[in-house]
Amino acid sequence: MDSVIELDGLEVRFGGRPILKKLKASLTGRSIGLLGPNGAGKSTLLNTLLGFYAPTGGSARVLGLDIRTQAREVRGLIGYMPENDAFIASMSGVRFVRMMAELAGLPREQALERAHEAFFYVGLGEVRYRPLGTYSLGMKQSAKLAQAIAHGPKLLFLDEPTNGLDPPARARMIQLIQEIRDRGDLRLIVSSHLLRDVEECCDQVLILKDGNIAAYCDLEQERRSNRRFLELETRGASNGCFLEALERLGCETAQGAQGRIKLILPEGLEIRRLYEAAAEQQIQIRRLNHKRDSLEDIFLKAMEAADGRV
Amino acid sequence: MSNRLITFGEVSRFYGEVLGINRVNLAIPPGITSLVGPNGSGKTTLMNLMTGLIRPTRGDIRVLGVRPDEPEKLGPLIGYCAQFDNFPKGLTGYQFLYSFLRIRGMNDAECEERTRTALATVNLAEAAQRPVAAYSKGMRQRIKLAQAIAHDPQIVVLDEPLNGLDPMARAETIELFQEWGGKGRHVIVSSHILHEVDRISDQVILLSHGYVVAEGQIQGVRSEVKDQPMQILIRCDQPNALAARLFLQDHVVEAKIHPDGKGILLRTTDADQFYLMLNRIVLETGMEVESVAPADDDVNSVYQYLIGGEGGTT
Amino acid sequence: MAVYKKTYRPYEGPLTASWSRFLVIRRYAFEDLRRSRFLTIFYLASFIYPLICALIIWVEHNASALKLLNLEQASRLIGVDAGFYMTLLGWQSMMALFLAAFIGPGLVSPDLTNNALSLYLSRPFSRTEYVVGKLAVLLTLLSLMTWVPGLLLYALQSYLEGWDWAAAHTRIASGTFLGAGIWILLIALLALALSAWVKWKPAAGALLFGIFFVASGFGGAINAVQDTKWGYLLNVSNLVGTVWVQLFEGDDPTNNGAVFFRQAPGSVIPVWLCWAALLVLCLACLYMLSRKIRGAEVVR
Repeated sequence: MDSVIELDGLEVRFGGRPILKKLKASLTGRSIGLLGPNGAGKSTLLNTLLGFYAPTGGSARVLGLDIRTQAREVRGLIGYMPENDAFIASMSGVRFVRMMAELAGLPREQALERAHEAFFYVGLGEVRYRPLGTYSLGMKQSAKLAQAIAHGPKLLFLDEPTNGLDPPARARMIQLIQEIRDRGDLRLIVSSHLLRDVEECCDQVLILKDGNIAAYCDLEQERRSNRRFLELETRGASNGCFLEALERLGCETAQGAQGRIKLILPEGLEIRRLYEAAAEQQIQIRRLNHKRDSLEDIFLKAMEAADGRV
Repeated sequence: MSNRLITFGEVSRFYGEVLGINRVNLAIPPGITSLVGPNGSGKTTLMNLMTGLIRPTRGDIRVLGVRPDEPEKLGPLIGYCAQFDNFPKGLTGYQFLYSFLRIRGMNDAECEERTRTALATVNLAEAAQRPVAAYSKGMRQRIKLAQAIAHDPQIVVLDEPLNGLDPMARAETIELFQEWGGKGRHVIVSSHILHEVDRISDQVILLSHGYVVAEGQIQGVRSEVKDQPMQILIRCDQPNALAARLFLQDHVVEAKIHPDGKGILLRTTDADQFYLMLNRIVLETGMEVESVAPADDDVNSVYQYLIGGEGGTT
Repeated sequence: MAVYKKTYRPYEGPLTASWSRFLVIRRYAFEDLRRSRFLTIFYLASFIYPLICALIIWVEHNASALKLLNLEQASRLIGVDAGFYMTLLGWQSMMALFLAAFIGPGLVSPDLTNNALSLYLSRPFSRTEYVVGKLAVLLTLLSLMTWVPGLLLYALQSYLEGWDWAAAHTRIASGTFLGAGIWILLIALLALALSAWVKWKPAAGALLFGIFFVASGFGGAINAVQDTKWGYLLNVSNLVGTVWVQLFEGDDPTNNGAVFFRQAPGSVIPVWLCWAALLVLCLACLYMLSRKIRGAEVVR
């Protein structure tokens, strides 16, 4: 895929203090997660790409446009969903999104049409005439997403999109983000502290630490290469014999609490053999899955590597 | 025994006409208890009642045997980390902790020591001399946490404590909760992140529209939801063959093939039987099993069943 | 049967001209203001005085009307001269101050209260365009109240009196335009700056008045205590009055300013200093605005 963002030695300082230190990367991928501890520079990076801060050194290209010289065109292609509240309390939802779309260059009628469409798309169809000040937190988040997509951008910046949402609203937001990602014509940068969200929504991940890039990797590839790691949850007689049987088959095992077992399958061993062992011993395999938290490992490794301590 | 519990007896709290919580009965043992529910379901009301910040309209609350309207007795027992992000102006992190400890009546040396310990626990020792107003969101969250634990209370009540924390800080804070829970303290946490709740909680309380819809240990709660057969999701290469074999059994009541043709979602009234049978089926049909997962043995599914997708007050 | 699903569609259509985007702000602000019945009535009421002036001009030139009023002898009832126009400008400018105090505070503070500004600026839309757009709201309305009626009355008088009168009195036209211009620019900038810095709308409105009345009192106090004349630099109405006198009448003034906008007694402040002071005030407002109108706060 062609690159969404190219960072070429991008450097940002605030009053002499370096916040982003000569970042160099080429981000491809439909949906890129942006991770990092607090103070790593995630918001600064997004703000710099949007043109709120001027880079003190180096440059960057967004969708092929230089952020220093073509900042205005860059902003025309971006939809931004900030982390904090962002609304005008006295305006109705539709009116607000319509004004934002017009400011992005859409003619009046199209802006109005698309404002309504955006509200239905994010699931706020019923409340679009009510003033934004009366919206609940979940509705405000969805309204922020609506204003980000109404003008038909090519790239979305989502900063903590599930912040403060209760579980159904969170699931809806994730689903929406996944739909947008799967379309292909609208790329995403998702900045979040919740690794689970990033895992579900993103193909690639950029991890920042202390203003440097600590890691940039492709989650799909990682998932594919983790095929041999399994997690089981068992119930039945005693696990001791089962573990022995597994080890006889050549697996490396580690026992967890409540019947949980982590194991590494040797090359060539099929999962059916595990079932054989379980059937012999009347053990139920209640849960079996390939290791989920690859992202957690990647993240922890990145944090460790950057300065030698976790 | 009651001295180890936080009890609510037919407690109701109304704000004028607006319902906070209604006829709540609870007995919360030590360990990590999670409060789960949509926004507006009464979680914050429950926490405010526990800590004595508001009084119930009706009903009786006892915290380790102490009533919340005796703040002199309750104060040393409870630490509260509220949801909101407001701080007294002009204080540094250190001063913030120290002054709140002094209010509790400890002397200078003790306050200093406890402040340092608390700061070290939440990893804010370096930033302690900077004003709280200059802290990032994560740091403010941590200083709030420090304030809640500085006086070493038996009960810690935390309203969305992980909000704004990066993954490492989350993991560290969760470890902290587990440590306290293990030591026999009460850790009451409210959270929207259900998979975390699943991982760390000993018991869970589900709230909706001001009512407690379920409470207890997670596995226990699921099996109480009797009118719903267990759902199990199996990803494999021959879901049809598996389905055919399953329908020969009485306890399987429903089987749904996943749209991508590589998985099957089934419901059974007898999970134990099913799993033992699965072992045999895998061997006999030579099926490749990709993954097996109970689809509703966790807080997420219980949430779906009892509270549903419409969320809270909108 | 075809089933249509509501989905996102990208936008490939035409865009509006890049320079014209600031007008979007003005249009939305006008729609909001029109909803307030009080403002509409107040605005219409501000045209009463110009109408009365028009009537006076017409009566002066209308013989039968004069006969009716028994004023044949006193054919010059009210002199239509520089003073007449300055008085008009003075009244209308004070009404303009009231209007700015009602409208101004609500222009910028709602955008800042809930951080909507970052959304404005994340679009192809700059801080300058934002400020110009908001200014345009006030400038348009205040212009229609101040120099537009002034110039129309000038045209009326010229038409009735003859174009020679116009040629002899061009300073009236230019004075009206420039004098009104400096005033409305000043109060528009002040209103916006206060709206950006003061969240509570009544407070912002009150401060706008305060700058004129309280500051002048303060200036008077300085004059009295320090036995000096420089306190008049704080008195904005003096500053504006002096500037107007120069614009309307040059070096040979017959008036010492307009109602509400008098020159300092004894013409003690040189005109260039008044201009400079007003300019400094405008620049201060622009600086205040630039501090608050940002996409993202620079912390530390």
